[in-house]
Amino acid sequence: MRRAIIILVLLRICAGAQDLAGRWQPRFHEDSAERIGLLGPPAWGDISKGAKSPNEGPELGDYAGLPLNDAGRLKAESWDASILTLPEHQCKPHPATYAFRGPNDLRIAPQTDAATQRVIAFVLTGTYLGRPRTIWMDGRAHPPEAAAHTWSGFSTGTWEGSKLKVLTTHLKAGWLRRNGVAHSDQVILTEYFARYDDVLTAVTIIDDPIYLAEPLVRSVNWVLHPVQSPPPSTAVNPSLCGPAQIVEEIAGRDRGYVPHQLPGKNEFLKEYPLRSGIPAEALRGGAETMLPEYRFQLQELVKLKAAQKDQ
Amino acid sequence: MKQILAILFLGAGWHMGQAQSTAAVPVSPGDLTGTWVAIINEDWRYRMLVPAKGDFAGVPLNEAGRKVAGQWDAAAASSSASSSGDKCAAYGAAALLRMPTRLRISQESENILKLETDAGLQTRRLLFNKTPPSGPRTLQGHSVAEWQRGGVLKVVTNHLSGGLLRRNGVAYSENAVVTEYFDRFRSASNTDWFVVTTIVDDPAYLSQPFITSTQFRKEANAEHWRPEACDAR
Repeated sequence: MRRAIIILVLLRICAGAQDLAGRWQPRFHEDSAERIGLLGPPAWGDISKGAKSPNEGPELGDYAGLPLNDAGRLKAESWDASILTLPEHQCKPHPATYAFRGPNDLRIAPQTDAATQRVIAFVLTGTYLGRPRTIWMDGRAHPPEAAAHTWSGFSTGTWEGSKLKVLTTHLKAGWLRRNGVAHSDQVILTEYFARYDDVLTAVTIIDDPIYLAEPLVRSVNWVLHPVQSPPPSTAVNPSLCGPAQIVEEIAGRDRGYVPHQLPGKNEFLKEYPLRSGIPAEALRGGAETMLPEYRFQLQELVKLKAAQKDQ
Repeated sequence: MKQILAILFLGAGWHMGQAQSTAAVPVSPGDLTGTWVAIINEDWRYRMLVPAKGDFAGVPLNEAGRKVAGQWDAAAASSSASSSGDKCAAYGAAALLRMPTRLRISQESENILKLETDAGLQTRRLLFNKTPPSGPRTLQGHSVAEWQRGGVLKVVTNHLSGGLLRRNGVAYSENAVVTEYFDRFRSASNTDWFVVTTIVDDPAYLSQPFITSTQFRKEANAEHWRPEACDAR
């Protein structure tokens, strides 16, 4: 019996090496200018010639590499950043589809059933203004279609080998990039969490029949960081962003006005192609811009633009 | 004995969060074989285009790394007089899988998994027999591979000749060590993918390990394979 207990303890120790639970610090080595806009000088231009960094999030009209369909593009081009000044938009947390790309640490904590000690859920804490997100591991079903949609959605998890597969439904309409690229409330989010030694990688698959021509698949990374603490959540502390913080940011606006750009009238879309030299056609995105062969088309477009400029 | 087995059985379920009704089928060696296409929706402007000089946003360069990146000469790099070595420097093991490329992965022999790219026409050999490196350092270095639990392929590469993390002169040194984890997954539409998490550790030019993860989608055939030598342009 004693031998069995020792073996059991050893087994648990070994298994813990694959455990997702813990405190994780994000790495922004990919899409850093778009995601946090802090690391490194200019995202365009020659630093030695005095170019300045626009590293303040994604550029307006930059949808390159995103599999937008026509509706998704129209939606993005109609977006006006001023919508974030409306009182009802000021305290929005990131939706689960975007949350991991934001700037916060992450804590993953298993929740156990007191009687059986079985893990019934993982709770993820630390996303921007977000409520703790629960991934149910007890085999429960997703709610009926008409149930409420939230920023975190409803998530269930199953193990596939050493990876945790998470399916999330019932999400609110949200965003894929912070420049108006949107997903609808019909989006389905599938995630795979895997731990590789002290690195955690999450692959996110975003399937939206309304605004995407095909699923958007991307990934984020963290490193184990036992001493950090995720920031407090508005769910626990509404004073972080709540009624007391919401103000009328632009005075004198008509009641009910919704900031927007009309189709074909968004002059801001012309700025980034001019500054960056990236052809506007490429920046409009679409599934074809994600494929390696698009670089050949891109090279031709760049040459064409240069020739037009010389004329 | 029965008691021991029963406890072990229960314990195995307990420690993995029960692994619930897990389909815990380990992926067997060789499951990465086939033709794969890189899906480029992250770092698009760095991967599809040559970034501007000084644009190393996101790369944790230290002072020496910044200095080297600052010495890059765009005109010289694109000149026809530029050496083949210079033109191919971005196709080394530390950055090869970030290029816009297709991959062909095949079992060359019992102990060697061969990985070829159409972009840059590079070949890496992932060795499962832990032979030590020999001969001169190369762009693809010396890669030792092992299958881990859950069908994850871990590859550690050293003996590199150095190269570029980005085509605008952001460099890694010959002492860099590249650790990769290849892991397969399947989308809702039953399409096969793998993600490779790449960790470049280079105390010479980086202030912390450079970590990226890159997605590849499986293709039914090699119809779109379009070889182009690394020094072709």
